[in-house]
Amino acid sequence: MTPHGATVHVPAPAVLMERRELTGDTSLIRIAPDPSATGWLSSYIPGQFIQLSVPGAGEIPVSLADMPRQNGIIELCIRRVGHVTDRLKALVPGNRLGVRGPFGVGFPVQRMKGSPVLLLAGGLGIAPLRSLLYYLVRNREEYGEITLLYGAKEIRSMLFRDELAELALRRKLRLYLTVDFAPQGPTGDVECAVGLLPDLLKGFRFEANRTYAAVCGPPAVYRCLASELEEAGVAPERILLSLERRMCCGIGRCCHCAVGQLLCCTDGPVFPLSVLRQIPEAL
Amino acid sequence: MRMSWLPQGHLEAFLNLLEPYGTVHGPTVLENGVTALAPITSPDDLELKYRHTLIPPKKYLLPFRDPILTLNDGCYRPAPPVAPNLVLFGLHRCDLQAISYLDRVFLGDDPDPNYAGRRERLTLVGLSCEPDDFCYCDPAQPAAVDLFLDQAENGFLVTPHSPRGEKIMSEGTGLFLSSDHLPSLLVPLAPPPTPQDPELRFSDNPLWEEYARICLSCGACSACCPTCYCFDVREYPSLDHGGNRLREWDNCLFKKHGEVAGGDFRRSRLDRLRYRFLHKYCGFSPLQGVTSCVGCGRCAKACPVGIDLRNVLEVTYRGAEPATTRDQATGTGEVS
Repeated sequence: MTPHGATVHVPAPAVLMERRELTGDTSLIRIAPDPSATGWLSSYIPGQFIQLSVPGAGEIPVSLADMPRQNGIIELCIRRVGHVTDRLKALVPGNRLGVRGPFGVGFPVQRMKGSPVLLLAGGLGIAPLRSLLYYLVRNREEYGEITLLYGAKEIRSMLFRDELAELALRRKLRLYLTVDFAPQGPTGDVECAVGLLPDLLKGFRFEANRTYAAVCGPPAVYRCLASELEEAGVAPERILLSLERRMCCGIGRCCHCAVGQLLCCTDGPVFPLSVLRQIPEAL
Repeated sequence: MRMSWLPQGHLEAFLNLLEPYGTVHGPTVLENGVTALAPITSPDDLELKYRHTLIPPKKYLLPFRDPILTLNDGCYRPAPPVAPNLVLFGLHRCDLQAISYLDRVFLGDDPDPNYAGRRERLTLVGLSCEPDDFCYCDPAQPAAVDLFLDQAENGFLVTPHSPRGEKIMSEGTGLFLSSDHLPSLLVPLAPPPTPQDPELRFSDNPLWEEYARICLSCGACSACCPTCYCFDVREYPSLDHGGNRLREWDNCLFKKHGEVAGGDFRRSRLDRLRYRFLHKYCGFSPLQGVTSCVGCGRCAKACPVGIDLRNVLEVTYRGAEPATTRDQATGTGEVS
């Protein structure tokens, strides 16, 4: 079930339920959409996005940080970077929000069945990949080995460290962490490398010819990671990159988010490298 | 198709015939000398030999600032419809083709409520034109029109193109005379070819660099384009916890167009010029391969530094010598 009619254009009411601060500027929020919206939200495919309205401030595109719950509650990981997220920061549980969506093309989770999956997250890129990660973990038997390589600027800005470590302990996934900078001394209770994400990938051994790679991070790392993955032997059709662009309307009309002749909001935001390679300015 | 002859002297009666379909707007010269589509009360207001209006008819379907949602106590509702019945009289073929293109964008999957509301209440009466140095048109392209008037000496040859057009004509018994003679129709200039090859699309032709160097990023080309429809969405809160969400014209020549929080995907003017070119001549999904340039020539005429993106097509696809911007700027004479 995909959104249709008025639900595409008019945000469904939603209520902020809970907020958990993850770092100084990033929080994980839980929101309860109106029951009228939970039907189409339940069709969410990891990698898709919704448009979150903060009344009086505006609307932002954001990926879910986990699959929607049975009771319709959704989780979003929000960093304070603009005027809408600024206003969101000031809201308290019980305040009203709005949601439209889900929109766009997510990760091809059906096609990925039976294959090992390598997730590569840089910085806040862990947020959209977390919904894919939990989708894979909950359908663990349908997929091959699941590996997460996650790079952050520093230990303090590494998100979801404890829950990722726990998943690794329960042998649900192989976890490799890296930070760009580390102060003197121990990096805490989780083993963590120091270096950039592409460097971590460089020495990494995996079953490249069968693997699907899912990449999400700051635009700067895509080019490096894509080359590394291709060099390792992953087919470009299996290298899936989640792109960021300015998506105002979510339905292909406002035309801010074109990647070549494709639109990030309706043809993406997840694109295979084989498609992006044809588009000079994509990466 | 049934054609009828409307003698020049019957034009006023013809305008009266249109009135039940809405307020009649047509080409007129405003006090400030600008040719614009504005309300018409008598045939004397009409400028039948106009070249083109400064602002295209998109202003009626996609107003510069258009409320899409209202906000009350944290809940969004569709903005109340405000579409009046309207007749646009005297639109040239290019502007009618532009409306046909906008229909494809806004009335496709999930029709846009505001656009659909206005479009449904809009009656379109076309008028033949004489091409100028800036324009070309391709009569084969689809045009949205209810009635089309071909101008000839002492009158108009009228052709209905929709059931509404047929209806209007049937209501005008006595106004129209049956006609066997066709007025001499003008031969339109050839449109530039449509780019297909992605390699050529991003050609390294030096003309791109030249255009990027002189472009002022003023956005006039996009504002006056009958098919440029990019919009931004903004929210304006009120003090009583209410507010409006508006859709406003945006412009891909502006730096902000490609910006996201913490980044910019089209930093250079060259990037932004190419973005416009790509959208205009190659089309974005799902209208890939559809050229939305209708050849009205407004952009080339409006550009203060004489950029004509169609030169990129000519140079790249026909191997023509690039016309320098200086040639264009001086050769065109008037730039209004």
